[in-house]
Amino acid sequence: MSATTPDGLGTGRDGPPRSADDEQRVGFFDRRRTCAPRDYNRFLVPPAALAVHLSIGQAYAFSTFNLPLSTLLGGEHASPNDWSLVQIGWTFSIAIFVLGLSAAIFGRWVERVGPRKAMGVAALCFGGGFLVAALGIATHQLALLYLGYGVLGGCGLGIGYIAPVSTLIKWFPDRPGMATGMAIMGFGGGAMIAAPLSLFLMAHFRSPESNGVAATFVTMGCLYFAFMMFGAVMVRVPPGDWRPVGWVAPRTPRKLVTQAHVAVDKAWRTPQFWLLWGVLCMNVTAGIGVLGQASPMIQEMFGGRVTPAAAAGFVGLLSLFNMGGRFFWASISDYLGRRNTYFVFFLLGIVLYATVPSIGRAGSIVGFVAAFALILSMYGGGFATIPAYLRDMFGTMHVGAIHGRVLTAWACAGVLGPVLVNYLRQYQIDNGVAKAQAYSVTMYVMCGMLLIGLLCNLAITAVDPRHHHPPGEDAR
Amino acid sequence: MSTLRMLLLWVIVGLPLAWGVARTLQNALQLFR
Repeated sequence: MSATTPDGLGTGRDGPPRSADDEQRVGFFDRRRTCAPRDYNRFLVPPAALAVHLSIGQAYAFSTFNLPLSTLLGGEHASPNDWSLVQIGWTFSIAIFVLGLSAAIFGRWVERVGPRKAMGVAALCFGGGFLVAALGIATHQLALLYLGYGVLGGCGLGIGYIAPVSTLIKWFPDRPGMATGMAIMGFGGGAMIAAPLSLFLMAHFRSPESNGVAATFVTMGCLYFAFMMFGAVMVRVPPGDWRPVGWVAPRTPRKLVTQAHVAVDKAWRTPQFWLLWGVLCMNVTAGIGVLGQASPMIQEMFGGRVTPAAAAGFVGLLSLFNMGGRFFWASISDYLGRRNTYFVFFLLGIVLYATVPSIGRAGSIVGFVAAFALILSMYGGGFATIPAYLRDMFGTMHVGAIHGRVLTAWACAGVLGPVLVNYLRQYQIDNGVAKAQAYSVTMYVMCGMLLIGLLCNLAITAVDPRHHHPPGEDAR
Repeated sequence: MSTLRMLLLWVIVGLPLAWGVARTLQNALQLFR
């Protein structure tokens, strides 16, 4: 058993190599090689995290490939042997599902090996996933597309998502919300880079024989691998007992902020874990369904007044608020407290969803856009604030692994949200409701989901001390 | 030195993001035209 530090993390694991000989034995990707000196500038670490999150955020822009992938054989128009949009749509669903699964499965491994090795593996999986998918596109084998982008790429998404977050929490014990907000903002912003980049590359590689998708996948795989490896090389972990200069942990901490640590195997058996799971699931469900249907929704609710190009602009605006909300709300949560921040998400969300049908009937496009911009900012804020909430409840020791397991709520919401929005809309239209009014019931159902989230958040109390990790015992 | 390095790192990750945000804003303006 290694020597330990006050926060329960062994110095043998977190200390730098002690001699040149020791350094030679410790590999470049080893956790100990990433240990920073005490005077290291901690603001050098967020760009490393952002490099990974900006890359994996590409997943949100996968839909730019939908049409080109559906006309691979037919050229301008789809041939009978081309893949259908439903078949292609499964690629994204598999990737998001594997994201949640791999974050849950590999969370402990990520904590053990440290961020550099984890980010390196994420780069290999995500970049390699693009290459395997490119092979599937070139040979027109759907299974290879699923295996490459969906499974391999999904593992890169899951590992890459959680690896930098717990590192940042340890560097910013005074502002954990702001720190995780910075990284997770990158995941929201990644699509804004990937969408125009994909279109540019496909236009560049287009030829009379090919629409350039396979070459675009190869190029993007290499680019993202390089950018993520840049993050892996730059990332550093703080020494085990490191604290920011002049900062001392508050003597009278807030009621829901623990100074103790809970191991992941115990954490997921506590009611707090499942309440937080419910909080994330409900918050994401309410936002994700709207995000996927934003373009047809605004066109149908304001029939004839919003063109497809303007609707695309609306989707872009929502992405901006989704990204900005991640940094804004997570940073605010450092002052408001995590529980209060989620109360704002749920209460304000309920009010906004409940008034959207009236705004639609009144024909106010500006009011509609403003309401959804705010809703999507809180959707992003929910993602970015949850790691800091977990840190408050369970401490920093296994926060990455616990975060990984909580992300299964995302996989669940990824199915629940779009299903609710799509099926409720279709059910209404089938029963003779006009398209402009078909979303009203959906909005009220979203209010109900947010109410469940509000109740889960209300029920959260501090973790029972019997679950706390004994001080001085090895973190592993 | 550390400050320069920090600025360089932020520019490396900030530039692609700024490009993406600018393109998105350009599209978003269509909504109000």
